[in-house]
Amino acid sequence: MKLSALICGSSCFARKQYVKGFLITLVQAVLLWAIPGVFWPYMSKLGTLGTIKAQKTFNPETMKNEWNDYDNSFMILLFGIIGILITITAVVLWLRNIRNARDVEVTAASGKHVNSFRDDLADCFNVKFHRTLLSLPVLGVVMFTIVPLIVMICIAFTNYDRNHLVPANLFTWVGWNNFNALFDMSANGAFGYAFVKVLTWTLIWAVFATLTCYFGGILLAMFINNKNTKCKKLWRTLFMIAIAVPQFVSLLLVRNFFNDQGIVNTICANIGLTDWLKSIGAIQTNYIPFLTDARWAKPMIILINMWVGIPYQMLIAYGVLLNIPTDILESAKIDGANAWQSFKSITMPYILFVTGPSLVNSMVANINNFNVIYLLTQDVYTSTDQMMASANAKEVDLLVTWLYRLTQEQSNYKMASVIGILVFVVCAILTLLAFNQLIKGDKEATFQ
Amino acid sequence: MSKTVRLIIRHVVLAFLAIFWLIPILWLVLCSFGIDKGPNISSFFPKAYTLQHYVDLLTADSSSVSQFPQWFMNTFIIAVFTCIISSIFVLMVAYAMSCMRFKMRKPLMNAAIIMNLFPGFLSMIAVYFIMKNIGLTDNKVGMIIVYSAGSGLGYLIAKGFFDTISKSLREAAYLEGANEFTVFYKIIVPLSKPIIVYTVINSFLAPWMDFVFASIMLSSNANKTVAMGLFAMVDKVNRNNYFAQFCAGGVLVSIPISVLFFIMQKFYVEGITGGSVKG
Amino acid sequence: MKKFLAMVLALTLALTMVGSCALAEDVTLKVWVGDNADIEWINGVIDAYKAAHPDNNYTIDVNIVSEGDCKSTVLADPEAAADVFTFADDQFNDLYAAGALQQVMIDADEIVAANGGADATVVLAASKDGELYAYPATASNGYFMFYNKEYFTEEDVQSLDKMMEIAAAAGKKVGFPVSNGWYLYSFFQGAGLEMHINEDGITNSCNWNATDTAITGVQVAEAILAICANPGFTNADSDPFVTGVKDGSIIAGVSGTWNANVAAEAWGENYAACKLPTYTVAGQQVQMGSFAGFKLVGVNPFSENVGEAMMFAEFMTNYENQMGRFEIRAEGPSNVEAASSEIVKSAPAIAALAAQAAYADVQRVADNYWANAETLGKILVNGNADGTDLQTLLDNAVTGITAAPIQ
Repeated sequence: MKLSALICGSSCFARKQYVKGFLITLVQAVLLWAIPGVFWPYMSKLGTLGTIKAQKTFNPETMKNEWNDYDNSFMILLFGIIGILITITAVVLWLRNIRNARDVEVTAASGKHVNSFRDDLADCFNVKFHRTLLSLPVLGVVMFTIVPLIVMICIAFTNYDRNHLVPANLFTWVGWNNFNALFDMSANGAFGYAFVKVLTWTLIWAVFATLTCYFGGILLAMFINNKNTKCKKLWRTLFMIAIAVPQFVSLLLVRNFFNDQGIVNTICANIGLTDWLKSIGAIQTNYIPFLTDARWAKPMIILINMWVGIPYQMLIAYGVLLNIPTDILESAKIDGANAWQSFKSITMPYILFVTGPSLVNSMVANINNFNVIYLLTQDVYTSTDQMMASANAKEVDLLVTWLYRLTQEQSNYKMASVIGILVFVVCAILTLLAFNQLIKGDKEATFQ
Repeated sequence: MSKTVRLIIRHVVLAFLAIFWLIPILWLVLCSFGIDKGPNISSFFPKAYTLQHYVDLLTADSSSVSQFPQWFMNTFIIAVFTCIISSIFVLMVAYAMSCMRFKMRKPLMNAAIIMNLFPGFLSMIAVYFIMKNIGLTDNKVGMIIVYSAGSGLGYLIAKGFFDTISKSLREAAYLEGANEFTVFYKIIVPLSKPIIVYTVINSFLAPWMDFVFASIMLSSNANKTVAMGLFAMVDKVNRNNYFAQFCAGGVLVSIPISVLFFIMQKFYVEGITGGSVKG
Repeated sequence: MKKFLAMVLALTLALTMVGSCALAEDVTLKVWVGDNADIEWINGVIDAYKAAHPDNNYTIDVNIVSEGDCKSTVLADPEAAADVFTFADDQFNDLYAAGALQQVMIDADEIVAANGGADATVVLAASKDGELYAYPATASNGYFMFYNKEYFTEEDVQSLDKMMEIAAAAGKKVGFPVSNGWYLYSFFQGAGLEMHINEDGITNSCNWNATDTAITGVQVAEAILAICANPGFTNADSDPFVTGVKDGSIIAGVSGTWNANVAAEAWGENYAACKLPTYTVAGQQVQMGSFAGFKLVGVNPFSENVGEAMMFAEFMTNYENQMGRFEIRAEGPSNVEAASSEIVKSAPAIAALAAQAAYADVQRVADNYWANAETLGKILVNGNADGTDLQTLLDNAVTGITAAPIQ
């Protein structure tokens, strides 16, 4: 049975499990070929990310370019990482296979039943059903979420930017350089300066956006759900129309709605609001810079986000309200509680208990709320802060929109990756804090 | 008397709020029927009405920026397949995590939480290059893979729902000799209609909303999705000529989405509240 | 006609060359043009190209990638970019640095000669170290002044002060995109201050904060502030310019040929164009400078058929097709012969550009310029709301413009 360390299927063959043995050996053969054959050329260059720069000569005979056998740093990184993951998997599989062979040997020696291939297949739909269920989704996540994430995290430690673009140029490791640049708070550290500003606004935004929508939604739901309100369904539907329009349509529309030369500005000018604002010094321009001046744009963005977000929250709160056990409310009424008291001591705690955990999620979602900020300010907003402009940031940027524009407009992948990692750190800290709180809260709930 | 006044005030406030909420939507519809090609900025109501923008939008020739019918079909195809694959993925993961107990369960769940904390499009460049190596950029199949591959991570709400299904049902089935597959297929799935509808509609809608991944993966005008195409119609260059068509496109896209959305809202609430009570 | 014959001869020669390698090859080319309005023109070019090369089997796909976005699309993945693409010359540097431009290997000398020789600005704009890396396509991508003759005489438009005075009196505006780095350059360059890319190709030098020049940076900033505060002036980038021209609130403004149709439609017979005016700085009248703008056609070195791509790019930018482009899109040719034809010279926008050419520089700018200049412009448009000392303001801007990227 020592043979199974060499030819992985051998133990199965010995047990006359031919199909299984064949499959295992096949996998082994493919891995043994692929790791040195396909991935090793990349893995071996991971240390430098390539040294041979692309060179070409034009051959007038064939009318084609002839390229040297050049290195592509990005492909080295990508396939190198995939190669490492596959190697690790292969080693784990190999070890498990040896262990299995030993186990099977013991089982067989003690005269118990050894699973046939058919039994194994059946297991896949029974005790090992989770493997069947999870294998494809996990594979998808590994290939299209985990591998890309590892690659991009690695990029934060390289100089992959506009001046080192593949395939014509090479990039290489630079250690913590990019992080140092981001945390450089000295007078000429534009990125450090911009990072503090953007992070501050991101957090302010996340708190305001989450809380305004949350409480706005609950209040609206209670207002509609009140027994004195007629035609509840009509009202609910009216508010929901606003969210049934996809966000990119409604937000792009609103951007034009509040344009410097847009319809709202025309109306404001016609009713004299613009002149009045100008006379009290609130604006210097001949229009109201709804989305083009930081002092106006930030509150406007939060307001517009309320417009988008409150109906959603209303919908959820509405459902929760309907679920409140009515007998508690009734008995409170009999005990002489007024509307405010029963709201304060029954309705609100109940809603908080049910939807509280989702507050953390929406906080994280708002930190990553790319759509609202990007769709409202792209092409419209110009920074008036020279240091931020140097870092290609704007006052209204969230970390994620900054990240996006750095990649799309500046090809500054290295700094974008650093920012991405920091977004993760911020979200992780928030979630951890909230988790601790929630665990405490849970215990309290059980004690009651 | 005071009660009637309060009743009136209550409804006036509601009406006021509703108007506030609906004005931009009304403007969208008005612009799509208005005579101006660009944004109408002189008055709220257009000077004259026309159906021309809808006609232009639906009968675009190859020289127009707008290829709306083509975009709509692309998005529809992508959405249908994404919806099938990701719904199955989500339900599979949710069942495994909710109803089964195995060694890797906790570590996998924790890993999923960590994954969800990274900004989604941090990885977009790497995803692009992976797809390029498989040869699936600027291609519908590629988009379907991009949208559905990671969908297993969004299993939490469905798991929360499965958690609420009584354990005794499953145990009874095991006693009768059913295997896990039968339990999943015959017991859990039929009981989970709300969450299935929710998952299906949600994953169907995702490709209609996304333009970040679409604009990285797709390059040719004919392969664009609706979100991407409409986005291009209001950029600096095209805004003055295509804004009304953008509005028309917005209206046309909103109609099917609204219908789905109104179907979904009931399940949406059940999913969210059911899922979060259990945590 | 002679030229045409020469052309045919050259093509036949090229053809035989190709033909000698392989007969009736299948050639696939991807071509990007900047605007959907170019489709009609490029389809004509493609048909003519196919007709001129009957031996090969061409499949030429056209896609729209705006000239302004071309760089970011190409840089995202040069291998996936089109074989032949059109871009604005401000992107030349980045495209070159990313190795996304194929050096012109076929007929380079002829192309240089046709566009005015090695010292012509358009050839300089398409060259690096004396070698040609792109095909000049148009010479009309710069900016100039549009005006409405109903309000201004040819005398009036010589001076911005006069124009703003007339506009203010009529309750109208003169537009200029101050909060756009491309245009903001005019003021500083006109006053003799400098900003250009360094030898290293990634940083800028800039003396806009100079205190020892004939006109200091602060004086220019003061002049811009005064202009922005003038009731007859508005800061109008392309979008507000179009809106303003259409609704009649803007009666003159600085923009480029891409908005010529809008102005011509709105003003009819009163449509006119001229070079940029003079403006008042430190008590003197100074002619505004500008960036010359060209559209160039690049060939992707990663193209499978790089030779065919070069021949198509050359064909696409030859005399006939530049004339065709002028007729359909009103874009001024870079080809000297085309540019000197009567019909081209009589177009007001092209004539205005030609007049401005004497004051226009080739754009050679590293990227740190754009965001910083935009912000400087925006601060000035807002009337320097924070009341920052102007010297500090300019010092900050120059620091940003000249900063080196993080290594």
